[in-house]
Amino acid sequence: MSTVSTPTQIAPTPGYHPSRIDGLREQHGRLAWLLVLTGLVVLAAGCFLSWSYDPEILGNLSISFNPGSLQLFMLTAAVLALVYALAYRGPLRGLGVWIDSAKALMVLGIGALGFMAITLAVVAVTSSGLINIDPGGWVSLVGSLVLAVGGSLLERRPTKDTLHAQLPAWVEIGTIVVLMAMLLFGAAYALGQTDGNIFGLFLVFVVAVAWSLFAAGFFTWLGIVAQRHRRVLMLGAFAVAFLFPFTQNGSDANMSIATQVLIFAATALGLNIVVGLAGLLDLGYIAFLGAGAYTAATLSTSAFATIGWKPPFLVVVLLGAIVAATLGLIIGTPTLRVSGDYLAIVTLAFGEIFRLSMSNLDGNNGPDLTHGPNGIPAIPDLQIGSFNFGDEHTILGFSLGRFANYYFVLLVLALVIITVFSRLNNSRIGRGWVAIREDEKAAEAMGVNVFGLKLFAFASGAFLAGMAGTVKAHQDVSVTPDQYVFLESAFLLAAVVLGGMGTVAGVFIGATILKLLPEKLRFISDYRLLIFGVLLVLMMRVRPEGIIASQRRQLEFHEEDEALAERIEEVHLEEEAQT
Amino acid sequence: MTVTHSAPAAPPADGGAVILQASGVIMRFGGLTAVNSVDLTVREGEIVGLIGPNGAGKTTFFNCLTGLYKPTEGQVIFNGAVLPPKPRAVVLAGMARTFQNIRLFNNMTALENVMVGRYCRTSSMALTSIFRGPKFRREEAATRARAQELLDYVGLGRSSELLARNLPYGDQRRLEIARALATDPKVLLLDEPTAGMNPQETRQASDLIFKIRDSGIAVVVIEHDMRFIFNLCDRVLCLVRGETLVEGSPTQVQSDPRVIEAYIGTGDDDEDEGAST
Amino acid sequence: MLFLQQLINGLTSGSLYALIAVGYTVVYGIVQLINFAHGEVFMIGAFGSLAVWTIFFQGQTSILILIPMLLGAVAASVGVAVLMERFAYRPLRHAPRLAPLITAIGVSVSLQEIVRLFYPGAKSPLPYPQIDYVSGTALQLGDITLRRSAIFTVGALVVSAVFLWWFINRTKLGRGMQAVSQDPDTARLMGINVDRVIVVAFALGALLAGIAGVAQGLQTNSISQIMGFTAGLKAFTAAVLGGIGNVAGAVVGGLVLGVAESLATQFIPGAFGGTPWKDVWAFVLLIVVLVFRPQGLLGARVVDRA
Repeated sequence: MSTVSTPTQIAPTPGYHPSRIDGLREQHGRLAWLLVLTGLVVLAAGCFLSWSYDPEILGNLSISFNPGSLQLFMLTAAVLALVYALAYRGPLRGLGVWIDSAKALMVLGIGALGFMAITLAVVAVTSSGLINIDPGGWVSLVGSLVLAVGGSLLERRPTKDTLHAQLPAWVEIGTIVVLMAMLLFGAAYALGQTDGNIFGLFLVFVVAVAWSLFAAGFFTWLGIVAQRHRRVLMLGAFAVAFLFPFTQNGSDANMSIATQVLIFAATALGLNIVVGLAGLLDLGYIAFLGAGAYTAATLSTSAFATIGWKPPFLVVVLLGAIVAATLGLIIGTPTLRVSGDYLAIVTLAFGEIFRLSMSNLDGNNGPDLTHGPNGIPAIPDLQIGSFNFGDEHTILGFSLGRFANYYFVLLVLALVIITVFSRLNNSRIGRGWVAIREDEKAAEAMGVNVFGLKLFAFASGAFLAGMAGTVKAHQDVSVTPDQYVFLESAFLLAAVVLGGMGTVAGVFIGATILKLLPEKLRFISDYRLLIFGVLLVLMMRVRPEGIIASQRRQLEFHEEDEALAERIEEVHLEEEAQT
Repeated sequence: MTVTHSAPAAPPADGGAVILQASGVIMRFGGLTAVNSVDLTVREGEIVGLIGPNGAGKTTFFNCLTGLYKPTEGQVIFNGAVLPPKPRAVVLAGMARTFQNIRLFNNMTALENVMVGRYCRTSSMALTSIFRGPKFRREEAATRARAQELLDYVGLGRSSELLARNLPYGDQRRLEIARALATDPKVLLLDEPTAGMNPQETRQASDLIFKIRDSGIAVVVIEHDMRFIFNLCDRVLCLVRGETLVEGSPTQVQSDPRVIEAYIGTGDDDEDEGAST
Repeated sequence: MLFLQQLINGLTSGSLYALIAVGYTVVYGIVQLINFAHGEVFMIGAFGSLAVWTIFFQGQTSILILIPMLLGAVAASVGVAVLMERFAYRPLRHAPRLAPLITAIGVSVSLQEIVRLFYPGAKSPLPYPQIDYVSGTALQLGDITLRRSAIFTVGALVVSAVFLWWFINRTKLGRGMQAVSQDPDTARLMGINVDRVIVVAFALGALLAGIAGVAQGLQTNSISQIMGFTAGLKAFTAAVLGGIGNVAGAVVGGLVLGVAESLATQFIPGAFGGTPWKDVWAFVLLIVVLVFRPQGLLGARVVDRA
């Protein structure tokens, strides 16, 4: 039932099972559509009325005909619902044949319902009583409920595969640009929220919209478009990352978080070479970051630095990387010959050896290199030429603080790591890694240098982590052994696994989720690790390939899934045809 | 049903130079002697068959030749030099193999599979790959072109972008051969290349093997299909319980009563012929 | 004298490692999975026994209480191990090997956090009860100090080892375990319930880990949710040292590791000796073993899993 030969053929939606609700849907198709329209109009109308008596809660939601930010979210949702509804039946039918608007409407309706329910609950709880919810809130709640019911009752229609959608290139590039801009402003907005409730609700809104777009099939199309315009995407993403500090008006609070995220992401990207590409499970990766950081600290001009030599920073970066890579070679040479499970535990043991050694080398137990558990404090800011990273600089009227300075350095570092990652991936070496992951014995019998390639992955991962570590030492001001505990390695691994093994975008998303959410959602902070652990377990069961999966990884984790293999092959052939 | 081929080129009767010489190969696993002092000589441009009942040690012998096992005793001389028992060294020297149970890189495309075969004949390392210098681009293009050429050669030219795991069974066998050929071998070792194939596919396989032989590559084949092997090979070696029972031309081996006994005789392993995977 | 003292110290900590190491090795022998969360099973055992004491015997010190405490420890750790197998590992039995390992990390972190957040007072280390005869003042035999908890720990190992030997060689389930570890597919064809054997393997490991939890509590007089991490890593080292998959090896490996690290503490001269480096030397030993004798002291079953 391949659709390669007849691109316009309409295939039923995958995973489609007829059920009792289908009977209902057939009977009430028209009614459902009217329900949807009613629901979205009511939802929108409610947004123009007051939701809360108390103006202090969740921004100001108390003024009628002047929607607050949460009300604007729901207005946006209503507009999106209108687009889906008109695509289902109405002037946008042309769009409707491509997207599963019925399912999208259902998801969006449920998301909006959840959003409204949480919002009203927050209003009621913080102002002690349902009485403080104004009519507008109830109106919107009812609207979202009607929307959800209507969406569920809409008859599902088979859609054409967006794989074969032919749109002018400017539309595709435009979509990427618009999405990137939304990403920039979304991130700036989210980080600007000091109220954890608003931040959480914003996330609910984003997830609801993203999920409905996913249900509509938008992301499948986006994935193909992104493949086609990889350059544009990369440039766009970099532009967003570059422009981000300019949206912060020199505020160090958010830039500090952004820098944390970035250094975490950069390190995780290095780990992704080891885990995602070469398939080696490294549970002591944080030690390589630590090796870089300690190298930088001991060679810095801190009064507590233990080595007298003070080379320029670029030399330090290189030295830190070399020290880390050397450690990688020392630990990798003996262990890479044994099976993968052993490697995981041995690297874990190595991470512990590193941490314990750093907290032991205090002069009483061995030479005084690290000042033991106290670490090396007061590491001065970087100074390159006359540019001091601790000072605030003003560029084009935008003031950029200390963290923004480090942010840019880290951005460059991340770019270097991404380049190394993706170029190695698409090369002879990358093919060798895939072959090793697929069948080590066969790879060896075909002349692939299995041991050499594994060692290379291990050492180059360590090299990149060492580089990141040298920057981290200056940015964190002090280096202590307890920054390099096993849990940090586990977090790095989790960023790779949650985001998607073997992809760059995935790791960034994973790193952002893991670093940003605990910062912003303070009320979960005590449950942070528990959530993290449960998330890892669930992820391995539900979607082991990660949020943004590399196709190959997805196939590896679903060896039995024939449909997936054929689907990916189809995408592959389509891309070949395009180029 | 019959495997016919239009006039196989006359075998170079002891004409070619010796390319592969294994002597006194013994492989013991604990108390079990799987291969007991087997000798094998392969000359350039020859097709040698390796037959024997199941468990005769054919595949073990192959593994000893290709360095997957380190033989307990004996040595393998390739092109005048002793081969170290390391798979990579063996491939680099010019001996490549396929596997009895197909071992392709399933989630790679056919083309990528063959490109992995080129790995040992190319040399782009990390820095060239990262900076994408002219050497890298030249080599990458050459690798791709050669891989496509080999796919065309084995008749899979139109399947290059398909995932290996989605290919039909017969095509997977041919892909494995293409992947082995990509290592530029002088000797090709095929472990049951027609296992599980229908008569038509079997004939295509023997055509392909003749074609490979005619291009100057010596071939050693393990097979169960007697008609296939006697039609194909210049020389046949029959292993029984790890030892060489008979060696000679197909007609000699075919008519040797000991071979007939080994296969049909008293053993209970005659039912499994050809069904083994 | 110093040597003998360190030997005794080493055998004590070694017995503890051995008790935990059995869990790694039994599970690995059967499903080739490194149950990274096994250290947490040990920790849960310690908390299980403490819970029994706190609820039923608060303030009492009679040695008889040790029996319900041990039962509580074993119940908690076996329960957790079986649930873990059922809900975290079983669904992944045919997944690529990365998946169960990552799951194990998740399980490990979750268990630690569950104890920290939901066990009353567990946000800081909890004192472990003093029990007559097995804790309290150490015995003096000439120059040698012999702690009472040490006697309990070594004794527990001896009893457990005899039980293990009997279970594996003399019971139907034990022989089933041996069969599954040789060849799971054939074992299944022969009518062995492989799922049950795997559960039993997890339970067996947890049983010993639970006992080890009590022993650890008695030795250190306090327990915390993080005690499973280092102990688990050490026990894994012991399992590898003895040859992972080999039950006798785990016991031998544990004892050797314990003795080796106490001797290293005492006899490595200069600044690199001493307690701060003890764990470092243990992990260095792990790496050295993997380099020179990856099959371990007693030899593991070599599995070609390619």
